[in-house]
Amino acid sequence: MAEHAIDISSIQRGSKMNAAEETTCLEVKDFNLFYGDKQALHGVNMTIPKNRVTAFIGPSGCGKSTLLRCFNRMNDLIDSVNIDGQMLLDGDDLNSRSVNVADLRRQVGMVFQKPNPFPKSIYENVAYGLRLQGVNDRATLDNVVEKSLKGAALWDEVKDRLHESAMGMSGGQQQRLVIARAIAIEPEVLLLDEPASALDPLSTLKIEELIHELKDKYTIVIVTHNMQQAARVSDYTAFMYMGELIEFGPTDELFTNPKKKQTEDYITGRYG
Amino acid sequence: MATNNSQHISQQFEQELQDIRSRVLTMGGLVEQQVGNALKSLKRADLDMARSVMEDDRLVNDLEMKIDEECIQIIALRQPTASDLRLVTVILKAITDLERIGDEAYNIAQKTLNLTANEHSKKNYSELSKLGNHVRGLLRDALDAFARLDVDAALNVAREAQDADAEYESFMRTMLTYMMEDPRTISRVLDLMWSARALERITAHTHNLCEYVIYLVEGKDVRHLSIEHIEKVLDRD
Amino acid sequence: MSDKSFSSWFKSGTPWVWLNAGAVSISLVMVVGLLGLIAVRGLSHFWPADVMEVSYTEPDQQIEVLIGEVIETETVPASQLKRIGIELPEGQISAERVLVKVGNRDYFGMDFRWVNAPWLGEASFPEELLSIERREWGRFYGRLVAVKQQGEVVASGDDAYEELQQRLTRSNDIIDAIKDLEYTEIGKINHGIESIRLDKRKLELDGVAEDSIRFAQLAEEKTQFDTDYSELQKQLAVLYTDLNRDQMVVKISDGREVEMPLAKIVLIHRPNAMGVAEKIGFYGHAVWDFVSGDPREANTEGGVFPAIFGTIMMVMIMAVLVTPFGVIAAVYLKEYAKQGPMIRLIRIAVNNLAGVPSIVYGVFGLGFFVYFLGGNIDELFFQASLPSPTFGTPGLMWASLTLAILTVPVVIVATEEGLSRIPRAIREGSLALGATKAETLWRTVLPMAAPAMMTGLILAVARAAGEVAPLMMVGVVKLAPALAVDNIAPYLHLDRQFMHLGFHIYDVGFQSPNVEAARPLVYATAILLVFIIIGLNLVAIQIRNRLRETYKASES
Repeated sequence: MAEHAIDISSIQRGSKMNAAEETTCLEVKDFNLFYGDKQALHGVNMTIPKNRVTAFIGPSGCGKSTLLRCFNRMNDLIDSVNIDGQMLLDGDDLNSRSVNVADLRRQVGMVFQKPNPFPKSIYENVAYGLRLQGVNDRATLDNVVEKSLKGAALWDEVKDRLHESAMGMSGGQQQRLVIARAIAIEPEVLLLDEPASALDPLSTLKIEELIHELKDKYTIVIVTHNMQQAARVSDYTAFMYMGELIEFGPTDELFTNPKKKQTEDYITGRYG
Repeated sequence: MATNNSQHISQQFEQELQDIRSRVLTMGGLVEQQVGNALKSLKRADLDMARSVMEDDRLVNDLEMKIDEECIQIIALRQPTASDLRLVTVILKAITDLERIGDEAYNIAQKTLNLTANEHSKKNYSELSKLGNHVRGLLRDALDAFARLDVDAALNVAREAQDADAEYESFMRTMLTYMMEDPRTISRVLDLMWSARALERITAHTHNLCEYVIYLVEGKDVRHLSIEHIEKVLDRD
Repeated sequence: MSDKSFSSWFKSGTPWVWLNAGAVSISLVMVVGLLGLIAVRGLSHFWPADVMEVSYTEPDQQIEVLIGEVIETETVPASQLKRIGIELPEGQISAERVLVKVGNRDYFGMDFRWVNAPWLGEASFPEELLSIERREWGRFYGRLVAVKQQGEVVASGDDAYEELQQRLTRSNDIIDAIKDLEYTEIGKINHGIESIRLDKRKLELDGVAEDSIRFAQLAEEKTQFDTDYSELQKQLAVLYTDLNRDQMVVKISDGREVEMPLAKIVLIHRPNAMGVAEKIGFYGHAVWDFVSGDPREANTEGGVFPAIFGTIMMVMIMAVLVTPFGVIAAVYLKEYAKQGPMIRLIRIAVNNLAGVPSIVYGVFGLGFFVYFLGGNIDELFFQASLPSPTFGTPGLMWASLTLAILTVPVVIVATEEGLSRIPRAIREGSLALGATKAETLWRTVLPMAAPAMMTGLILAVARAAGEVAPLMMVGVVKLAPALAVDNIAPYLHLDRQFMHLGFHIYDVGFQSPNVEAARPLVYATAILLVFIIIGLNLVAIQIRNRLRETYKASES
């Protein structure tokens, strides 16, 4: 009886993802963040792979949203924030003085927890980013708006009322609009901060499906309270606790056989 | 990663997990008892005991169905993850193996009924009983390792199960010589051989139980691997 | 009622509800009462009241006939009457006296007269009594005797009235034509001559020789203007002759017959002969004349159109000035400035500005804007017109600017409030798309704060339209020679002085020579001012409501 070669390492790995073969998009090196005197992030080291979905999970106040907002420097808006350490986007330090923050934010887009469409028409919402860049040609804008709305799985629902106010849409539609708005400027990375927490289960599933489709073109980082969502949607998961990164690994492995007891406790619902 | 001893936030969930754990151990104990009783009945030609074993198989089947239902409910309602998930899936598999072991005990008891119709030689049954005790011991140790979540103990049982195979081989050879010497003994010996075969099957199921213990505790799927490979995967060589 | 139920009634909070309701009711009653009083007094001014004819016998005097309108009556106690030398019969503790408007000031010396009710005879209201509104000397009452043309009687008796109205219409048309000619055509020529003079002065200042070509050119232009002027003068002369063609003869209450050129008359009507429908029609005309006409007789008669125009013009210019000031200041304070003790101080100062008495702003406006800024502007740009100041004197520009500064705190506060209501999520959303702070402000935040800005503007307008004290020092006059907007370039003259409704009320009520005549006008102007402010506010509120609908953002 011929013995087929047994891949000890893949049995040991326990996951279909292979971290060694991924390209790096974002890298975090010994990153610390302070709100005044209070330290919110402690020595975080992490590598976010390209064209994959990485989820940040952890209890409230563990720093996952704070870390997410560092990727597009939204924490700059808070005066008391001080950072230490490095954060690299495709190898370049995004906190260096020479970086134009507006440009960075064009490359690293963000979708917030509560849908925040502008009180303008649906068309103008999606076109906003492009108009900022000086694109005002009607044909180009029409094109991009259609493409983005299709990409966000919203086109069929709104194609007849593009010039109506965005405020008249349901929560799920608004959130997809916000996603369309974000992808209209073709960023490299999409940061999603609990994007479905304010939505009903059906809209949530639609958003998750959307994330899956967007994975091919964008690197996605999603913060979520809902562990099942993280399990459904992500390729890699990072578990954070009290400002520290406890464990980072492929999602299927982390949810069946996590390495650290803290992770296990959190995932199974034990706070022993 | 060892399984978790800390408490769930949800008391009810904790209770449900405890429930299936204790029930599967109960089932294990019951099945072990069945095997022992079946072998005893064969040795002593105790018809009553044989009949009671065959009746009690019903209990084993009932337990299997009950535990199965509870596990499915836990999956549907609690979305268990990590060690909890492994526990539930392992129990689902284990009860199948245990139920099969119960069936084999039933078969042995059945053979007792057949054999007492004819005369028998104590000498032959003693060899079977030696094998029988060995197998029964393995089953007990495996269930023990499961209860204590002891990977090393499970590995030991798995190793010894391989030795049991050798014993089985020699028993079969002995039976063959008997049949060749005295053709009048063929039908009896065949019954004995079927019983030995049943014991061999019980050993195989016991081996499965050991693999389950390893998966439950270490989270590594070591089915269909040789002992050496298993040791390598677990970094225990 | 036992103690328990009273204290439980008290605790339940019901007395506070009653208190609140009471306070609101009182305020409402006061506002309605005030407006009602002004409205009634003011609006009744235009109603064509009946003219009565009555005999009046003062003791030991001859019987007089009085023709006029009853304005008011009052009861006077006997002691007061004794003081002015009037004895009442025994047993009477008070008497009534009546204020009668007898008009004909140029013939009687005064147009209002107090007469004592007991000495009045039977009053009658003959239909043929005329009430005449004149261009000078106020109102006139009398009976029509005849209509004359160039001294010859052309109509008398019953059909005289028809003839009279026809000729009156004609003479009013001629007056309009004259006004038009004088104002537009001759106005243009005057303006042209003035600018030639200024150019000449400029050349002189620049030291250009007297015999250069440019002087010659200017002289030529002036000659042209002079020729045009004499042409127009000729036309005017013709018109004036036409105008003075007709006269009328009227008999007044003391029997005298007087002759009056129709040119001096604005309107004639017979109030006693008018039916209700006619009176209503007349009322409408009177209101229209009031609103669209020019003032006469030192503002005690005529219309208030220049004041309306001036008020609205000033408010608009003020709105144009205050909005950018206020909005930019609010944006800076809220969005860009580092929030610390310095900014808090500035904010306190801004809020306190709103409490400074407005006359202080007037003084500031006069000193800084008019004399300092205006003086310097004249030195730099209007050398030629000196020593006659252009901007170095009170005018529309400085008045609007002063009021803008007065109301800017209100706009700043309202805008800041609006900005702070805009949810952070919208700002973050814009920034996350790669917008700079300025772009976020311009494209998203400010449009959303527009309703709040409008609120600020509404409050500013409401305040400014009512302020009079500062305006007296920086640009308002009793009688403006011309409106700030006309058809001579640059079409909007910010250096001109203007009239203002608030000031008009003050002027008419307290500075006019004939207080009694002016009083109804004060009320009428006051109610007009109230209506205009309400109108401006309603427009602004409409705009704000529409903006609110558009930008109804996630405030929930």
